[in-house]
Amino acid sequence: MIDFEFRKQVMDYHMGSDIIKYCYQCSRCTDYCPVSKVTKDFYGTTGYDPRKNILNALLGYKEAIFNSDSLTIWGCTVCDTCDELCPQNIELTEIFTFLKNESIIKGEGPDFLYSQAKAIFDTAKAIPSQSAIERRRQQLDLPAVLSPNVDEIKTLLKNIGLDKKLKED
Amino acid sequence: MTEYKMFEGCTIGNRIPFIEAASRKVFEKLNIQTSQAPFSCCPDPTGMKSFDNNAWLAIGARNLCLAEEENKDIISLCNGCTNTLRGVKHQLNHDSSKKERINLELSKIGREYKGTIDVKHFVDVLKDKSDEIKNLITKHLTGLNIACHPGCHYMRPSEWMESDDPMRPMNLKEIVSLTGANVINYDVEALCCGSAVHNAYEEYGALILKEKLDAIKKAGADVICVNCPACFQQFDTQQRNLTKNFEKEYNIPILYLTELLALAMGMSPDEIGLKFHRVRLNSVIEKLGL
Repeated sequence: MIDFEFRKQVMDYHMGSDIIKYCYQCSRCTDYCPVSKVTKDFYGTTGYDPRKNILNALLGYKEAIFNSDSLTIWGCTVCDTCDELCPQNIELTEIFTFLKNESIIKGEGPDFLYSQAKAIFDTAKAIPSQSAIERRRQQLDLPAVLSPNVDEIKTLLKNIGLDKKLKED
Repeated sequence: MTEYKMFEGCTIGNRIPFIEAASRKVFEKLNIQTSQAPFSCCPDPTGMKSFDNNAWLAIGARNLCLAEEENKDIISLCNGCTNTLRGVKHQLNHDSSKKERINLELSKIGREYKGTIDVKHFVDVLKDKSDEIKNLITKHLTGLNIACHPGCHYMRPSEWMESDDPMRPMNLKEIVSLTGANVINYDVEALCCGSAVHNAYEEYGALILKEKLDAIKKAGADVICVNCPACFQQFDTQQRNLTKNFEKEYNIPILYLTELLALAMGMSPDEIGLKFHRVRLNSVIEKLGL
C-alpha cells in the first residue's frame, strides 16, 4: 500500500527534493555496499539492500521498509560509499538517516543507540569520563578534559523532545 | 599565529588518551597551537544522527558556537567529530529553515549559530605542513611496510568533507611516506572498517573487518596507519576475536598517524604510551631498533 504522507516526508527530507525521483535503479549502491556484500545471498533476495530501500522510500511503500527484518534499516554502516557512487547524486545516507530516525521513534532501533543517546543526555558525552582514564591522562601529562555544560545540553535536548525517545535502562 | 580549538572527542579524550598525547607532542613540534574549550559530544555521526537528526544538529551547532564565540577554527583529532561538525555546518548553511529552527533552540540557551568558523581534520592541517614535517624527521622508518586506512568519514561524503579523493584517498599515504617508510598498496583501501554496523550486528562488522585485514595481510603490512579513533578501536580490539572465530592469525599492530610521526620525530614508545595498545608493537619496535 502506498503511504502518501510517508512519500512526501521522504521527498521533503532530501536536500533538492527532485533528485531522488531520478533513481533509475542501476544498483550501483548495492553493488558497492560493504554490508550487502556480507549479507546477501547469491540471488540477492536476502540481506541489506540500499537500492530496494530507495525504491520503497520514493514510492511510499512504508510497510515494506518498516514491517520487515530490522536489518532492512539498520544494516547501513554509514560509510557513505553509495552517496559517492550514485550516478544521480542521490544522498542515500540522508534518506537512510530519516528511516533510522523513524525507526527510533517506533522504539525499534538497536539498543546501543538508546544507551548512547541516554549517556549524551545525562553527561553531554557519548563516553563519560572515568577516574581510571583521568589518572591515565595525568600520567601522560595531558590536561584534564574541560567539563561540558550538561544543563545546556539537557535543555536543548528536552526542547527538541529527545528525552521522550529514550528508554529506561 | 593561528590558534585552533582542540576537539579531541569522546573516544580519544575519555577512552584512548594516549593518542591525544602523541598528537599534542607532534603539534608542539610543528608549532600548531591549540587551546581547550568545554565541548560536549560532537555528537556521533553514526549514532546520534541516526537517532535524531535535529538533536544531532542542535548539539553540533552548539559546539560550533563555542568556537565561534572565540573566533577560532576547530582542529579535530577524529573522523567522526570532523564529519559531524562539517556536516552540521553543511545542513545549516544550505537549509535556511533548519538554521532558523536550530537557532530558535539555541537562543533559549543564549547562543546563536552564525557559521563563521571552519572545522579542520588534523590530517589536512598536517598535509599543509609537509615540508616542516620532513625537516623534523630524525628517525627514518626505512623498511617498515605500512598499510594506510584513512577511514570513511575523513573523505566521505566529499560534498562536505572536501578533503581528499573519496574513493582513492592519497593524503594519509603522502604524509606517511614523509617518514621514509614503505607505503604499500592493497585491495579495498577505501573500504569501511565495519565499526558502525558492528554495534548492531557484530557478525557483519567482523566480516567487513576480515575482508579488510585479509587484504592488508596479503599485501605484507608490518603495521596499519589510521587517522580515526573508531577505526583504531575496531582494528586494535577486534583482531583477537577474528582470530578466535575464523582460526586465522592476524596480529597486525596499529599506529595512529600522530603516533607514527612522533616515533619518526625521535620520541620514544614509552613517552607516547604505546604500551596501552591491545595489539603489541614489539615487532615494529624491533624492526626499527627503538
